Amino acid sequence: MTKLKKKVVVIGAGHNALTCASYLAKSGFEVEVHEARSEVGGMACTREFTEGYKVPGVAHLLHMLNPGIQKWLGLNKNGLEFAANRLKTISLNPNGNALVIDGDHLEGDGITDQHRAEFKSFKKKTNSLARFFRSTYQISPPRIGTDNKKDLLGLMQTGWNLRTMGNEGMTDMLRFIAINVYDLLEEYFDDDFIKGSLAIDAVLGNHLGPRTNNSVITYLHTLTGEIDGVQGAYAIPKGGMSSYTNALKNSAEKLGVRIVLDSQVERIIVDDNGKASGVKFTKGNEVGADVVVSGIDPKSTFICLVGARHLEAGFVHKINNVRMRGNASKLHLALSGLPSFNGVDEKDIGQRIVISPTMQYLEQAFDYTKYQQCSDQLPMEITIPSIHDSSLAPEGHHVLSAIVNYTPYSLKEGWDEAKPVVLENVLNTLSQFAPGIKQQILHSELLTPKDLEAEFGITGGHWHHGELTFDQFLMLRPLPGMAQYSSPIESLYICGAGAHPGGGLMGVAGRNAAVELIMKES
Amino acid sequence: MLLQQDHYKKSYYETPFHSRTSELNILNEWQRWKDYTVATNYFRTDLEYFAVRNTTGVIDYTPMVKQKITGPDSAEFVNRFFTRDMNKISIGRVGYVVWCDAEGQVLDDGTVFHIRENEYWLLCVERQLDNLGISAIGFDVEIEEITDDVACLGVQGPTSCSILKAMGFEGIEHLKPFDIKHYDFQGHEIMISRTGFTGDLGYEVWMVNEIALNFWDELFEKGEIYGIKPFGLDALDLVRIEAGLLVPGEDFMVAEFAIRPGSTRSPFELGLSWLVDLSKPVFNGRQALLEEKERGSRHTFVKLNVNGNKPAHGSYLYNQSGKKIGTVTSAMFSPSAKANIAFASLHAPWKKGKDKIIAEIYYQKDLEWNRVMEEATIVTKPFYNPERKRITPAELY
Repeated sequence: MTKLKKKVVVIGAGHNALTCASYLAKSGFEVEVHEARSEVGGMACTREFTEGYKVPGVAHLLHMLNPGIQKWLGLNKNGLEFAANRLKTISLNPNGNALVIDGDHLEGDGITDQHRAEFKSFKKKTNSLARFFRSTYQISPPRIGTDNKKDLLGLMQTGWNLRTMGNEGMTDMLRFIAINVYDLLEEYFDDDFIKGSLAIDAVLGNHLGPRTNNSVITYLHTLTGEIDGVQGAYAIPKGGMSSYTNALKNSAEKLGVRIVLDSQVERIIVDDNGKASGVKFTKGNEVGADVVVSGIDPKSTFICLVGARHLEAGFVHKINNVRMRGNASKLHLALSGLPSFNGVDEKDIGQRIVISPTMQYLEQAFDYTKYQQCSDQLPMEITIPSIHDSSLAPEGHHVLSAIVNYTPYSLKEGWDEAKPVVLENVLNTLSQFAPGIKQQILHSELLTPKDLEAEFGITGGHWHHGELTFDQFLMLRPLPGMAQYSSPIESLYICGAGAHPGGGLMGVAGRNAAVELIMKES
Repeated sequence: MLLQQDHYKKSYYETPFHSRTSELNILNEWQRWKDYTVATNYFRTDLEYFAVRNTTGVIDYTPMVKQKITGPDSAEFVNRFFTRDMNKISIGRVGYVVWCDAEGQVLDDGTVFHIRENEYWLLCVERQLDNLGISAIGFDVEIEEITDDVACLGVQGPTSCSILKAMGFEGIEHLKPFDIKHYDFQGHEIMISRTGFTGDLGYEVWMVNEIALNFWDELFEKGEIYGIKPFGLDALDLVRIEAGLLVPGEDFMVAEFAIRPGSTRSPFELGLSWLVDLSKPVFNGRQALLEEKERGSRHTFVKLNVNGNKPAHGSYLYNQSGKKIGTVTSAMFSPSAKANIAFASLHAPWKKGKDKIIAEIYYQKDLEWNRVMEEATIVTKPFYNPERKRITPAELY
């Protein structure tokens, strides 16, 4: 615990920023959070997109909640409840019944015992590799090439964790980080539909195709999460996604954090000694601080808020090259009734539904994005949260929330022109599987990466604040040499998903940043 | 600039002065300088050298890389790009500069001309568009390379001011060192700066290619009675060593071309601390230079006066215990200083004030190699530093 009561200003009130703020307040810092929007939560919010119909604003499933944070901040006591937990994944099948994935169990047309055994062994392996990643997530990543004791210990710890995986585990790890999910799944399965159903997890929200190297890491990343002790589980919070961030907010406020909404930061004030000394708001007012923590993405933080002129060119160049080309859009539909999907049991309609019949389907859709185009056959992750939570839509009505992948941030013809066409294509794809859905639509909304950038202030509209690939991972995130939440500007820290270990509504980046800050600033 | 006609038939460019320089180059000795061909020697290196020191020498500087920086943020941009405080270089003035990469290692050195508000020219040896461009992210500036669009002559030596005055450039003698002035020449604007690479009174003249030959002709016509002579790169190398001026690629490794770690140098290691203003809140390489300041530098740049008369080209340097302590980067016997001079880069275990510096010099006699070990002493003042270099108004004859 620190005796100094240093004042910390946190920029943004996303889940990482709130987590960071709470940890800091708990350690005795005076913490003030400033959020540009009129609610907390950032991309984990509840959005009323048309009167009476609410959807999870961007993220719609909780699957990487950190049990340590959950407990330490008392999130359950502060209002976090699950409307549904341990969701199954239902993969829509163009040629028959859907594939049902429940933990490490498979069910569906033509699924044999051999398929089930293959899947079990695949899950066992990937889960164990993901646990290695998870072990590295919990600490500030050690820097390479320093003789600092903490870095060396961190590296030794990581090495030890790798070693304890045994020869086979280590070999797998070294092999898996280099190959792509296409080759990996080819190795394990012979059924195209199974492979397609699994591969979407590797590419969702990323600028990757199944054949892109690094796509195994993104797959394992999704498995690092857990909900109430179940690895890789998916849950829907009661009252919409904002109940997660509201629980964080309640917890923060109880710890003495002051949260100011509608307070957009225009720039971070850097004094003549190159130290962050406060923030200036778009409204014109300023507030001084001993420490500034940014919960927004690294590009926005350094290029927009700090400004290139306060930073050395080499650093600006590197930050500018952080890869964060958003690829995922969000589809919201208000429906006059519950849709029905071909080959899906009615009791399963509230589960996590994916459209990703084959890896070929994904790769072909990805091909378009490489040339700034958008395929008319896009993969999706769909939820109908109103099934679990009647507060989201009027009685008998429903809302559908879907992440549509491979809708690139930069489109050749521009999004203004393309948006109605993409929306139409997406609805056509949906109605291939849910034939009556078009007649049920009362209102629709498509939030493209451009829209997400404008609304939530994330560069490129990238969900994870930067691609989660090996070159931007662990001690390389966001940049080699600044991976420990600090920055070239003294007293300026970053705590968002752009820092290690990245996105996924974990809050771990926020907590790790707080730990680092407490150590350095106390 | 339009490509020169038939450029594809030859693998070099000719400067706008080529028809004149080739006439005068009676030795036909040429060398490549940034894809241009320029004279190594015209008639005799030592006589060309003495022309610069005693009358006036003219050198074709056209291949020097020239970059123009314009735009509302240019002052802030240059201040972050270069290590020194650029606010001190006011409009109409020139400043000597170095700049560094993120590790605080010198990328190149050169001069910056603050021509008018929001317009700077950077003149140097290596092309800098890439470094300047990377540095421009977040600044409202425009960067353009104008190497091929601007012809340049160095007019250097004691009578240089008289010649330019005879050409009709009124008030030229009132230019202080590092001043810039614009004149009209046959309906075109030309720029004259009191700068040079010779350590003597001298000027550099900047003009559009179209008037290059006319300017040359008039310069040599008016200069004849003042002893005007062309000089080549060999003579330039002699005068610049006497003047104590470094050449990238000879006296230090250009950081972006270095392959081996440790082969580059920071400004502190080149004796250029006076060009580094660590009190500026930010400039490229500052963080690394602060760390170096704390940790101590690995190399020390020194000017040496070597015993004997054998130039210490590329010599190894030892201390009194025979331990290697450095190497010579440039060396010559200086006729003006009447001394055997050299630049050297020293490293541990050399200790300032305690260790001797002994140069191992090899030289040939009738193809037989000989070796001498000569002691050297450190010189802190310039080897050659005539009064006329500084005084304003400049001497007229």
